[in-house]
Amino acid sequence: MTKQSMWSLKFSTAALVLIPAAIGINYLGKLFAELLRLPLWLDSIGTVLSSMLAGPIIGALTGIINNIIYGFTASPISFVYAITSGVIGLVVGIMANKGWIASIGRALVLGLVVGVIAATVSTPLNILFWGGQTGNIWGDALFATMITHDLPLWLASFADSLVVDVPDKIATVLVGFLIFKNLPKNLTRMYDSRSEIDRL
Amino acid sequence: MKNGTFYVEKASIVHDVDPLSKLLFVFVSVGVTYILSTHSFVLGVLAITLLVLLLGKVLQYIFPIIGLSLVLIFSIIIVQGFFHPDRSTLWFTIGSVPIYKEGFSYALLLTLRVLNMVCAFGVLILTTKPDDLVQSLIRKGMSPKIGYVLLSVLQILPQMLAVTGKITDAQRSRGMETEGGFITRVKSFIPLLTPVVLNSINDTRDRSIALEIRGFNSTSERTFLHETNHFKYGFVIKVLLAVSLAAVIAWRIFI
Repeated sequence: MTKQSMWSLKFSTAALVLIPAAIGINYLGKLFAELLRLPLWLDSIGTVLSSMLAGPIIGALTGIINNIIYGFTASPISFVYAITSGVIGLVVGIMANKGWIASIGRALVLGLVVGVIAATVSTPLNILFWGGQTGNIWGDALFATMITHDLPLWLASFADSLVVDVPDKIATVLVGFLIFKNLPKNLTRMYDSRSEIDRL
Repeated sequence: MKNGTFYVEKASIVHDVDPLSKLLFVFVSVGVTYILSTHSFVLGVLAITLLVLLLGKVLQYIFPIIGLSLVLIFSIIIVQGFFHPDRSTLWFTIGSVPIYKEGFSYALLLTLRVLNMVCAFGVLILTTKPDDLVQSLIRKGMSPKIGYVLLSVLQILPQMLAVTGKITDAQRSRGMETEGGFITRVKSFIPLLTPVVLNSINDTRDRSIALEIRGFNSTSERTFLHETNHFKYGFVIKVLLAVSLAAVIAWRIFI
């Protein structure tokens, strides 16, 4: 069996089956965050985890399909953010592949980068669809303050996304990293398309 | 995400339309409200969308879905209404707070668009069985494997939720605290999540073996259980939608 790059479109069955499980994990992360009344969403732990396990393409697919399913079952608004979720999966997958999940310090940087990128992708969507807000109270309070002081709309909207996304994505990536590092090797190897043993 | 989707089983004209036409309807209906942004036009589109919901006999089911978007709508009204940068025409004052026309006019437009978006997606998700939509997409050339992934999420979620209940109880009985200070609650996040994650990732191994034995990776042409297409009006609706989209674009350019 030849080695495959992280961009391979030949998915193993295990990697494809990981997608629904990861979407379930996303949902449970959100559920537990609500149960424990944590001030974050933590609704993309599964996406992050699937990117770490099976690479950027599976990660991006998980993100996009997650929001489509969520749109069908919970709130149609989430269709809009399918792009953001896809990009999150893509970025985590690429950076994990380049060694950014080697230590907890690097994982923190990864979380920060993912948060900034997620905010960057969400900003045009927020401006286009709802005039710049996110629907999060703290972010929107900042947004309102900034536009009253006549700061440009895109800057206010970006700040709005940033204060919401960065802490959330750092926490999400850290949780994903901790779970990933504690998974037994015989499970993680199953998705690693570069390894030649234990592939289904 | 509850146990299932929003789909409501009924017999109506909208239920008989093929899923892809409804998908196209969603894109056209949402798209035109951004191409032509006058209040009366967006209100008109919203009225049409609501009429389609009424024809589908699912109008009463859209309200809980709109309810889920209320936070966003309130945020739009408050933030855009009171803080919109363009504050020139004074509308009225509440106490000493001046209310300007521009902000509320913009907030109203955004709210109408959001309502139309939610209702348009409502047409699709309330009257279309997810199985039918996925099958139509596969017929149009989507990979059957992706089709499997889409549908299996809906089967796996209830299973995972059942496991979650057991794990929460088990961890509580071992003394894990889910109430109390912030730090206590943060600490119990990992012990709650990790067992479910491990469990579900472990399950994917069994599931992928089961799938492969049943020919999941087979390259031969797939056949469908239901060959006949029982949907109606597909062609007429697609033509109608394409014409309306073209008309709106023309209106935007020339008028």
